[in-house]
Amino acid sequence: MENITKIYSNGFVANKGITFGVGENEIHALVGENGAGKTTLMKILFGMENCQEGKIYINGKEEKITSPLDAIDKGVGMVHQHFMLLPSLSVAENVTLGVEPMKHGLFDFEAAVKATQEIADKYKFKVDARAKVRDLSVGQMQKVEILKALIKGAKILILDEPTAVLTPQETEELFEQLFLLRDTGVSVIFISHKLEEVMHICSKITVLRHGYCMGTYDAKDLTEASLSKMMVGRDVVLKIEKEDPKVGKPIVEIKDLVKIDPSGKHVIDGVSFSIHEGEVVGIAGVEGNGQDEVSDVLCGMGGFASGEVKLNDKSIKGKSVRAIRDMGLAYIAEDRMVYGVAGEMSIKMNIVADRFDKKEFKNGLFLNQAHVNEVVDKYIKEFEIACDGRDQPVRMLSGGNIQKVVVAREFTSGANFILANQPTRGIDVGTAEMIRKTIVRKSRNDGTATLLISADLNEVLECSDRLLVMRKGKIVAAFPKANEVSEETLGEYMLGVKEMTMEEMEALL
Amino acid sequence: MNKTQKIETGMELVRILICLLIAYAAALVILFLIADDPWFVIKTFITGPFSSPRRIGSVINQSIPFILCGLSMCFVYAVNKFNLAAEGIFMMSGCMVALVGLSLADYNLPSIVMMIIVYAVAIVTGIVLDYIPAILDRKFNANVVVVSLMLNSIVGFFAYWVLQNKLADPKKSSVESRTIPASIQMPDLFGKLKVPAGLIIALVCTVIVSIVFYRTSFGWKMRIVGSNPRFAKATGLNVLSISFAAQLAGGALAGIAGATEFMDNYKTFKWTTTTGHGFDGLLVAVLAKKNPRLVPIGALFLAYIRIGAEYLNSKSNGAVPKEFITVIQGIIILLIAAESFLSGTKNKIIFKEAQKRLDAEKAKNTAAA
Repeated sequence: MENITKIYSNGFVANKGITFGVGENEIHALVGENGAGKTTLMKILFGMENCQEGKIYINGKEEKITSPLDAIDKGVGMVHQHFMLLPSLSVAENVTLGVEPMKHGLFDFEAAVKATQEIADKYKFKVDARAKVRDLSVGQMQKVEILKALIKGAKILILDEPTAVLTPQETEELFEQLFLLRDTGVSVIFISHKLEEVMHICSKITVLRHGYCMGTYDAKDLTEASLSKMMVGRDVVLKIEKEDPKVGKPIVEIKDLVKIDPSGKHVIDGVSFSIHEGEVVGIAGVEGNGQDEVSDVLCGMGGFASGEVKLNDKSIKGKSVRAIRDMGLAYIAEDRMVYGVAGEMSIKMNIVADRFDKKEFKNGLFLNQAHVNEVVDKYIKEFEIACDGRDQPVRMLSGGNIQKVVVAREFTSGANFILANQPTRGIDVGTAEMIRKTIVRKSRNDGTATLLISADLNEVLECSDRLLVMRKGKIVAAFPKANEVSEETLGEYMLGVKEMTMEEMEALL
Repeated sequence: MNKTQKIETGMELVRILICLLIAYAAALVILFLIADDPWFVIKTFITGPFSSPRRIGSVINQSIPFILCGLSMCFVYAVNKFNLAAEGIFMMSGCMVALVGLSLADYNLPSIVMMIIVYAVAIVTGIVLDYIPAILDRKFNANVVVVSLMLNSIVGFFAYWVLQNKLADPKKSSVESRTIPASIQMPDLFGKLKVPAGLIIALVCTVIVSIVFYRTSFGWKMRIVGSNPRFAKATGLNVLSISFAAQLAGGALAGIAGATEFMDNYKTFKWTTTTGHGFDGLLVAVLAKKNPRLVPIGALFLAYIRIGAEYLNSKSNGAVPKEFITVIQGIIILLIAAESFLSGTKNKIIFKEAQKRLDAEKAKNTAAA
């Protein structure tokens, strides 16, 4: 790819004259902060986005890639961050979609199974071609995605943050398969911002920063520290320095919480724990094991069947979101575009969305615009929100800056309990660091109680004081000091290899 | 405002202008097919509404109910609850004003007192009727569009029943009421233009609604709820009550609209079917992009093409049917509502701007190096 420039319709320049190449038998890493333009560049290669400038060569021949179908024809396959599978169909049907084997004008299921099994065996993928996709684990779904690309003869395989959703064990397995693919002549482009993984499996590394290409390097010439410096342009402290918490009285108490979903499944199955003043409690777990439901219950967005949840000594059962917020909740939602902001509305309205009804922002019947503006400008400055002014619609900002709008609101609401569900997902390292540090600082200085739910193991391990692990709606492990737990130990509990007994955990809940 | 925002705003204006041009071009094509002298027809259509002070007055007169109904629809559109009961409310409100006005005729109350009473009645009528679809939506999640459209039929026939059985003057050959007291007949303004005083009501309402939308916490809440209801809920707003309240506010305005139109232009109540004003209000709200400050412009535009059609119709002795305006109207709404129309051009301009910025940045970097 030569001299690629891509400008989005909101005027955001995602790629600025990027030149990038990947060779045969190579696992090539594309690294950079979120918003650096990695995904955009790959979407151009896969024909999902067009670019304003630049040329693409495949095997020395200039190609114009007009659509994903065209890209597949030319041997390019992509596995997206969010899987694109049909859950109600079988693995074989998903894999052969687009190249269905036919018999007498009808879909030949047996042939599809055979073809799928063949290619899976060839690359040692352990999947059952007859299983329905909805019954698979996330790791297996990803294998189906890779098979989908391989069966269409992909010679260039793009993996967009493939390990973000995997457990450590599943990640290891994926790497083994990537090595095998590499040795059979497939070029793998590996997008990630997990540096240790990149250093572990890739031979070459291309670094993007703010849409510019910072160069391509041999992995052996780099260290994690020098790489991260190139990505963000400054030294990032990968560890969070923090003193021991001064734990006070319990702020949140959860007892025997049960939530049953419409299909009758116990999505929260008798969970009890408490969060005290001044401490950060982390919940780790493979996604979909009840963490989101706990978050929904705590913030009042979803009810629960039985049990007791107290915030500042008052039960939240049946209370509205407003009432719970008034009792002391601040809430950083998982999906910022859906629950965190109103994209069409101004930065100003988004920052004061939870409080403009309060007396201090009112002038009799009307809003006190001068005061609103003053407060908003202060927060824009304090949280370093890069924007053209308070009246700009939030949708025009980058992901990291949108999240800054969210935290500018939630960290300043005066709450003594912060519920942070995936607070740094998909945003740049700089903003993520700022958010993590603020969470820790608020707990130490203001005595805030925090519940941190995150799929980013590094994040829960570094930020949390106490750490809980959830699996199948239950708490299966509890550790008194999060930063003393290894990722391997954590993975074993997350995957259900091990489980603590109630007695072991009792003192830690 | 940054460059991108400026381009977006500028292109939006250009887009609307082009939509209008296309609509006129389409009208021209149709006219060539149905009229003997299409150029005369087009000229009459475009300049007709300005051909006499009286006609300019008519445009303004007709825009009054459009403004009020447009404001009403801004409320329901702002919270994305398409409660269309305004159509029925408009007729019922006129009917109630006639009923109350005639029953109070013998007390000879001063005009100002009568006005306050009938407007109060109109507002209550609007709120009560809009309450029905709104509460069914809130309590039972009944589709507000379907309920409100059904309600319109019921209300329309009910108002007709009231007219026939309670209001109709047996001395008259047609079905109409007795003459309403002079105290609730709106006076005319501006001499020759003959614009009824309802204009003042419409403009005052525009100002009030604009203030509510942009300067009060209720307006902010409404806009947040309409923009992203799930965010609104997560941030602690009561989505159900806010959209419920917005619908009632819309109902109140529709009531004011019906009463104003009735007292502006009628001396007897003789509406036998609903008048279409409620739906015209939706049209105006779409044209104004649910911004109450732009509603008068949208309303004037709609009134202008309606009067143009009427004038043309009479001028051509009925050869050009009024209905052809419906065609133009359809095209305009289609194009304006189709938000990605011309988005390609918009994007190109934005790309160019970004490219320029990029080049400048590069030049700066090389200079620095």
